Amino acid sequence: MSAPEAGARRSVVRDLEAALAGIEDGAVVGIGGAVTSAHPMALVRGLARRGLRNLTIVAPTGGLDVEILVAAGAVDTVVTCYVGIEAVAAVAPVFRRAVQDGAVKVKDLDEAHCVAGLRAAAQQLPFHPWRGGVGTSYPDINPELVAFEDPIRAEPLLAVPALELDVALIYAETADEFGNVQVAGTGNMDQVIGAAAKRVIVQVDRVVANEEIRREPARTWYWRDCTVVRAPFGTHPYSSAWMTADEGHLAEYTKAGQAGGKELALYMERHVHAPADHDAYLEAIGIRKIAGLQV
Amino acid sequence: MGDYTPSELFAVLLARDLRAEDTSAQVGANMSFARAAVMLANRTDHPDLRLVLGLGVNNFAGGGTPPPVYPFLFDPRSLVGESRMVQERVFDDAGKPDVFFVGGLQVDRRGNVNLFGIPDGDGGWKVRGPGGVALATMSTNCRGYYVVMPRHDPRTFVERVSLISALGDRTERARLGFPGGGPRLVISPLGAFDFDDEGEMRVRSLHEGVTLDAVREATGFPLACAGDPATTVPPTAAELELLRAGADAAAPVG
Repeated sequence: MSAPEAGARRSVVRDLEAALAGIEDGAVVGIGGAVTSAHPMALVRGLARRGLRNLTIVAPTGGLDVEILVAAGAVDTVVTCYVGIEAVAAVAPVFRRAVQDGAVKVKDLDEAHCVAGLRAAAQQLPFHPWRGGVGTSYPDINPELVAFEDPIRAEPLLAVPALELDVALIYAETADEFGNVQVAGTGNMDQVIGAAAKRVIVQVDRVVANEEIRREPARTWYWRDCTVVRAPFGTHPYSSAWMTADEGHLAEYTKAGQAGGKELALYMERHVHAPADHDAYLEAIGIRKIAGLQV
Repeated sequence: MGDYTPSELFAVLLARDLRAEDTSAQVGANMSFARAAVMLANRTDHPDLRLVLGLGVNNFAGGGTPPPVYPFLFDPRSLVGESRMVQERVFDDAGKPDVFFVGGLQVDRRGNVNLFGIPDGDGGWKVRGPGGVALATMSTNCRGYYVVMPRHDPRTFVERVSLISALGDRTERARLGFPGGGPRLVISPLGAFDFDDEGEMRVRSLHEGVTLDAVREATGFPLACAGDPATTVPPTAAELELLRAGADAAAPVG
């Protein structure tokens, strides 16, 4: 990459491999998106190809993102309130098996605890107080949640510890080359995931001109530094604001995940390891399939 | 059972129980019967009730066109309506929504729900569920919630849940100062159940053709029933017509 001219803004657009290169074994990685929508799946597949170990994955409402990383052997701990694929897989199969076998640890949080813990990290606080979870089994199954009596009104509350992330992987529909990110959907929990992270990598469908961003500044997400990776249709098999989820693919994955062994290895080979890059992944899925998913 | 599906029965029972003070209801999982219940309520006694459905917030009173039931709740085609549901912002207004719908692996006689799974007693899991989603927070804060159990047997209706995802026990809730009102009803394929003044689950009504002996046989604790059990009033022709015309409860239960 040549040095920018004096006075010129720097592009933060990188190719996928370069963007993910700084992530190391044992990193704490936050992944955005919610249930079957807006997960940065191209980044996740790229991360799975890195052959990393002992990652802690913070995936508030995860599914196939967690599955692929667990199947790749990259995961030590999952911090989550849900790992499933709705009616296709009430519990994500590889996650379930790994947790039941003790191969992967899980730190259970309520969905609101995820927000509270990420906010604590973003605000550089040790914890955030929360009431939901008081009187439940949360502190028993996740001892990091600490029951305490609040010093103002003496009410029983839970301290949700800060969820500090080394890196956040997030999806948005568009960004410009300077990292002005605009979401066409709702953004889910992604802004607070980004705010809790030392580094933010945003996967987008389109990299647009700065003038386009300036037309609707209220839609720009945040003024945080980030790296932008262009990966059109890169939420597949999950949805974006412009594309529905691929139910058939998710069902096919779930079958492979439940079977494990060779069938799971075949899925991982075909969709994660064999494609040389994201375009090759899309080629393997096929233009008819991708076109058919557009809203 | 009469000429209606279990899903339609669930929708009608939920719609009838909604309260005048309820102004927002969140369907957090892809439960077609809960969604249908709110749409039916919109078209009858609750025209001001907002439905948080997938990514949009809607009100279907006065003929707003309901979206079809998509395979997944968070479908981009549900980015419509009067507002949008932003995941993190749901928790910034703990007083809303008023109503929430809860499913679970187990429910117990005190109204506690377990969605976590079954621990192996040694720090691990015998059966691992998907996670507690937002059950703990919503059940703590919202005005009231409905527990809908797609199965009713001694493994799902238990003396004491293996783990508590949502604390229903009203004695414990009062002691801990919870703002929300707790579980209003438990609905199963066999009947509708509520809680007595001591917080014990009891029969409110049994569905057509279900005997008290049968439901007690299917329940893993002594189920209270004051006198002869009432029979659930089946969905009326008018309710079914409204449901089938626009609320779409056709998808199967569970």
